[in-house]
Amino acid sequence: MKKITVFTTTTCAYCGMVKKWLDSKGISYNVVNLDEQPEMQKEVYAKSGALTVPVTLIENDDNTEEIVIGYNLSRLASVL
Amino acid sequence: MYGAPWCPFCVSLKAKLEKRNIKFIYKNVDDEGVRDEMSSLTNGNQTIPVLFVGEIYKINPSEKDLKEVLMSESESSQKTYDVIMIGAGPTSLAAAIYTAREDIETLIFEKGIIGGLAAITDMVDNYPGFEEGVEGLALAEKLQKQAERFGAKIELGEVQSIKKDGNVFVLQTTSGEMKSKTVLIGTGSEWKKIGIPGEQEYYGKGVHNCATCDGAFYRDKRLVVVGGGNSSAQEALFLTKFASHIDILIRKDSWKASEVLVHEVEKNDKITVHFNTIPDEIIGGVVDGLPRITKVIATKDGVKTDFETDGVFVFIGLKPVTYFLKDSGVEFDEFGFVKTDKKLMTSVEGIFCAGDVRSGATMQIASAVGEGASAALSIREYLEALNR
Repeated sequence: MKKITVFTTTTCAYCGMVKKWLDSKGISYNVVNLDEQPEMQKEVYAKSGALTVPVTLIENDDNTEEIVIGYNLSRLASVL
Repeated sequence: MYGAPWCPFCVSLKAKLEKRNIKFIYKNVDDEGVRDEMSSLTNGNQTIPVLFVGEIYKINPSEKDLKEVLMSESESSQKTYDVIMIGAGPTSLAAAIYTAREDIETLIFEKGIIGGLAAITDMVDNYPGFEEGVEGLALAEKLQKQAERFGAKIELGEVQSIKKDGNVFVLQTTSGEMKSKTVLIGTGSEWKKIGIPGEQEYYGKGVHNCATCDGAFYRDKRLVVVGGGNSSAQEALFLTKFASHIDILIRKDSWKASEVLVHEVEKNDKITVHFNTIPDEIIGGVVDGLPRITKVIATKDGVKTDFETDGVFVFIGLKPVTYFLKDSGVEFDEFGFVKTDKKLMTSVEGIFCAGDVRSGATMQIASAVGEGASAALSIREYLEALNR
């Protein structure tokens, strides 16, 4: 099963929308708040190439990864 | 339908069928014999969910698959709404409170944040009824809850085009084709870009439009904020929670922002304001493993000036969101905003428009909400005349 992690900051409204969308699809996910774990910023940038949130990391069963930057509904829907 | 409670795609499909009022038999593959039964009917397939409609089956059906197999059975694919509102910002949410409360079947489409730009504004100080101000996101959530309390539905998706077909409007959307007797355009606006070298290259990697999203990446860093209006002032004040120092670059020789905000900015030790300053180029790189802007080159009072910085936030104004109206017949003013009459109807009968995307709008949350309410009353009047 895919493992999904959403990287957020506390005041980020787009992050809330990604979580709402995942909830509406019944998809479970973990949340990493970069305000609370600033040490994760470098890892997020290394994976996404972006210094922004939300970033959704999808880890597939075959060890491949997909990254969705921002609240990008069409990309989220196609990946998930 | 064959599925399992632990399967998120099964949960999603079940919800979709229930939303469409489709009667179906649900079979849990964890129950004895059910998985073998499913597998024998689907050529050995073990993937769930599987949806059978008669003898036709689809494995993990997409929206398109669902439309294909359910078209003759689905009420929602043939449903004609009374009003479809495009954009779930304060305009449409306010309008929906009025329409849904009067049993006008209301659907709101939103491709971004429910609440629009208001939702990503840190603090709204001038919205009536909140004497201490209100966080933008909190205000958006209250508007949403109120609209939904009366039965308005919000669809997370994008409207791609609108055409009139007889007495109804046909909207092509990411959720399929939708029909409605009336349409309210409440798509608001989006942030303009400066259009200088480095801006696109570093967008999301040092150049930002959303302080509440990305301000946290700049704890104890220097920032440049570009813009001379209320948003620039408000967001700069928010960013002082993180940044060590902020340089605000303003093109003209004075603020456009309100005096209250300007006063707050001026007494903040972390902020320096630079008038007659036009950014020319954004220079960046990677510092300590993270993308950083290193400086903004600007022209200040006619002199080339470097502003050392770690990030740039741009708030230089808004442009209307109207791309989906191509070929709709709706007319625009010379700046691209939608023209309306006194009843907030556009040049196309039955399409209404309100809020920031409308020609003549005053770009305030309070007026957006007011226009939404007015548009709702016009829509009600129009529908009553249609039904006579």
